[in-house]
Amino acid sequence: MTSGLCESLQSNLLAAIFETLPIDKRLVVLDMGAAMSSTVNFFNKFKCRLSFADLYAGDFVVHPCGEGTHSERVSQFQHHLNLPAGTKIDICLFWDLFGYLDGPTLMALIEALDPHVSSDTLGYGIGVRSADMPLPFFQYGIERSTQLSQANRGGIQPKRYPRSQRDLHHLLDYFEIAKCRLLADGRVEYLLIENRHHDTKPQLNF
Amino acid sequence: MGTDIFDKFKYPKSGHTQRVGCHTGYADIGSSSEKKTMIGAGVKVEGQITSDEDLFFEGSLEGTILAINHEVLIGKSGHLKANITAGVVRIEGTVKGDISGVEQVVISKTGNVHGNIQSPRVTLEDGAKFKGSIEMDPGDQVVLPVTPLSNVKSHQVGSKAS
Repeated sequence: MTSGLCESLQSNLLAAIFETLPIDKRLVVLDMGAAMSSTVNFFNKFKCRLSFADLYAGDFVVHPCGEGTHSERVSQFQHHLNLPAGTKIDICLFWDLFGYLDGPTLMALIEALDPHVSSDTLGYGIGVRSADMPLPFFQYGIERSTQLSQANRGGIQPKRYPRSQRDLHHLLDYFEIAKCRLLADGRVEYLLIENRHHDTKPQLNF
Repeated sequence: MGTDIFDKFKYPKSGHTQRVGCHTGYADIGSSSEKKTMIGAGVKVEGQITSDEDLFFEGSLEGTILAINHEVLIGKSGHLKANITAGVVRIEGTVKGDISGVEQVVISKTGNVHGNIQSPRVTLEDGAKFKGSIEMDPGDQVVLPVTPLSNVKSHQVGSKAS
């Protein structure tokens, strides 16, 4: 869902994602958040498949420590993401989802994504500079490759799981935080790359 | 949005319109060669609608809408569990199903869509709700007709209605 009150937020890392992509490639983009008009408008310029998972609206955020084994949680994510077999994600927009999932749930998400992540996959996330910094309850979109849109989600903010970059790095398994930059209000943005194949890293221009 | 192609449904100036299940709230429309069909909120349809003219749908549908090269507007009271294929599709109501727009698909601020969209251009207005995937290709004006739901009856509306 999109909100009527959107603000702009400068990004220093998002542009690097689009600079590395071949122009004529059909992109596969997975947005973990809600569908935002700005994001849809932005990707209208690309030949792409843009999927909105909106994990914030599911039980994963509201009841992250629910019943079930790890494999059951992985299956729940796979069912919710509904990605066709063989699909490889080019861009995964996590936004600030990492801050709303407990450790086991986040690890289940990363495992559910595993079959769809290749050495070309790039991720983008938002977190807080330190664990005591507030994480505003926003939903995000892309206005331009250097500018995000953010809007208040409304409602009650779910429980937050602020983490250091080191802790987050451990939970992200095969994803590596390649770059981190400061954002407004004590937030940071992360650029993620896949780190299973160290010798085939994409060349990022910063 | 301001005045657009769909305003002619709401503020008709001329044109022949076939009304199906019309009720209060729709204006009578004069006659001309421009044809469009309105289906009112009190109408429930199960099956396939094939239209060779523009379609304004306010009712309930479980099935398929095919209106290649024409415009389909699902009004605010429209409630569909259906696949839609049309030249231009605008959603103001609720649709659960896949949408294919030859030219454009617009989900308005009151629209709620759960399904997959394929179109060269897709617009999501502020306030719109969407869950699913969007396949966009601004370089090609191609459309893959959606597969009609199985075991549905066929209803013809428009000038070829039987």
